[in-house]
Amino acid sequence: MTDRPLKLVLNGTPRTFEEVPDAERLLDTIRWRAGLKGTKEGCRTGDCGACTVLVNGDPSLSCLTLAREVDGDAVTTVEGVTRETVGRAVVKAFEENGAVQCGYCTPGFVVALSGLLAGRSPPPSTEALLDGLEGNLCRCTGYAAIQRAVAAAREAVR
Amino acid sequence: MFTLAYPSTPEEAVDRLARAAPGETAVLGGGTDLLLDVESGRTTPTELLSLRKLPWRYLRWERQSLVVGSTLPLRALEVDPKVRTQLPGLWEAIVDVGSPALRSRATLGGNIGRCSPVSDLLPILLALDAQVRIVGPNGRREVPVDAILQESRRTTLGSADLVEAVVVPAAAPCTYLWQRVQPVNDISQVGVATAYAPTPPHWRIAVGGIQPRARRLVEAEGLLRSARPSDFEAELAAQEAARRSTFVTDRRATESYRRRLVSVLVRRAIQRTLARVPPVAGGPSSSP
Ligand SMILES: Cc1cc2nc3c(=O)[nH]c(=O)nc-3n(C[C@H](O)[C@H](O)[C@H](O)COP(=O)(O)OP(=O)(O)OC[C@H]3O[C@@H](n4cnc5c(N)ncnc54)[C@H](O)[C@@H]3O)c2cc1C
Ligand code: FES
Ligand code: FES
Repeated sequence: MTDRPLKLVLNGTPRTFEEVPDAERLLDTIRWRAGLKGTKEGCRTGDCGACTVLVNGDPSLSCLTLAREVDGDAVTTVEGVTRETVGRAVVKAFEENGAVQCGYCTPGFVVALSGLLAGRSPPPSTEALLDGLEGNLCRCTGYAAIQRAVAAAREAVR
Repeated sequence: MFTLAYPSTPEEAVDRLARAAPGETAVLGGGTDLLLDVESGRTTPTELLSLRKLPWRYLRWERQSLVVGSTLPLRALEVDPKVRTQLPGLWEAIVDVGSPALRSRATLGGNIGRCSPVSDLLPILLALDAQVRIVGPNGRREVPVDAILQESRRTTLGSADLVEAVVVPAAAPCTYLWQRVQPVNDISQVGVATAYAPTPPHWRIAVGGIQPRARRLVEAEGLLRSARPSDFEAELAAQEAARRSTFVTDRRATESYRRRLVSVLVRRAIQRTLARVPPVAGGPSSSP
């Protein structure tokens, strides 16, 4: 095991984690060490997008990322994303368009969509945003409501 | 479980690999293939050698050639505007690997190292005649990607060899087409790449989703002698490609369906590539 503590800038705050096994996934560091349960484990094989977080601003799958591989990087979870204006607009759009049923997939969608919208003016087209969400699966909504929410979020931030 | 090693130079990485017992140390790129193999117990290394600290996360143009460092995430290639316009087929192959959040981690080096027969990147790299820069115990060398591929999870790379970069020799009109059951996060039933060069031989065709590995179909290429083949010539080449490929039946497609797909997709890929060839000023081919 690497003796050095693991350092992350987690949701904007520098954090240090001691005794992190080398094989630990970023998903588990976030959920079990940092106690941030917004990030979900759906498949653990890269197929569902529920575990999406931003690593240095880019949507990444935390289930297929070793925590030590992002040592020193900025990691932003749904808890961090929704503190910002863009993230809040995305959440509001999901709520108002009925894009949430069980809600298990929602943090992944919110993080990925916020990552695609943040700092982009004008925002990418709705089509490009939907392409960017193609790895996020939802078993409940049938996607129509999510598509409406994406368009609404785009309008809200432009 | 494994521990991680973080060599800070390529030489240190190669040295560490050279001293490891067989199967003990595995090379970690983005980990999107390797971590699943470790989790399933298919491979049981005690150490993963991370390439994260090596200076290989780059993309640059050296005269006409595109040089991509082996640890650059695919996402960086995808958002590069020049890649999209200069090598449209490479861009098409990359944007359909998994999902955007997967592509933030997955790398070109890992795709070559995995050598999946259903890789979406190997056909276009073959069609573009990509060269692979390797660093190993005897120094550096450059070999065609074709010379590296063997079969699933097997390459000709030595146990202490690392892919340092992939070189695409020239910008070229090119196309990548695939067929899948689902468009996203699914494995292609077959994938077809074509590329055009201004000087003869003009055409290169490569196919994935065949056994034991993706490969060039020189027999089919040989039927495309002119720079601008007719639809009929394209169809003949497509049929030859289908005839020359070895397909399997699995849960994603039957052998005969794959064969049919290859003949359809090769023809379309030739036609699409042709539409991307800039017209020669004043020549007969400049008419639309
Ligand atoms: C959900 C999901 C969807 C996917 N979809 C697709 C798809 O649509 N198309 C597709 O082609 N693939 C797909 N893949 C497979 C995978 O993402 C790609 O093969 C990817 O390019 C692998 O890169 P990596 O950096 O993650 O490799 P790693 O997992 O890090 O490594 C793969 C292999 O290559 C070796 N290796 C890595 N880097 C080097 C190097 N520089 N030199 C020498 N050896 C090296 C490793 O030791 C290992 O054996 C998918 C995977 C998942 C999990
Ligand atoms: S839990 Fe990571 S993609 Fe499903
Ligand atoms: S709301 Fe239930 S999975 Fe999407």
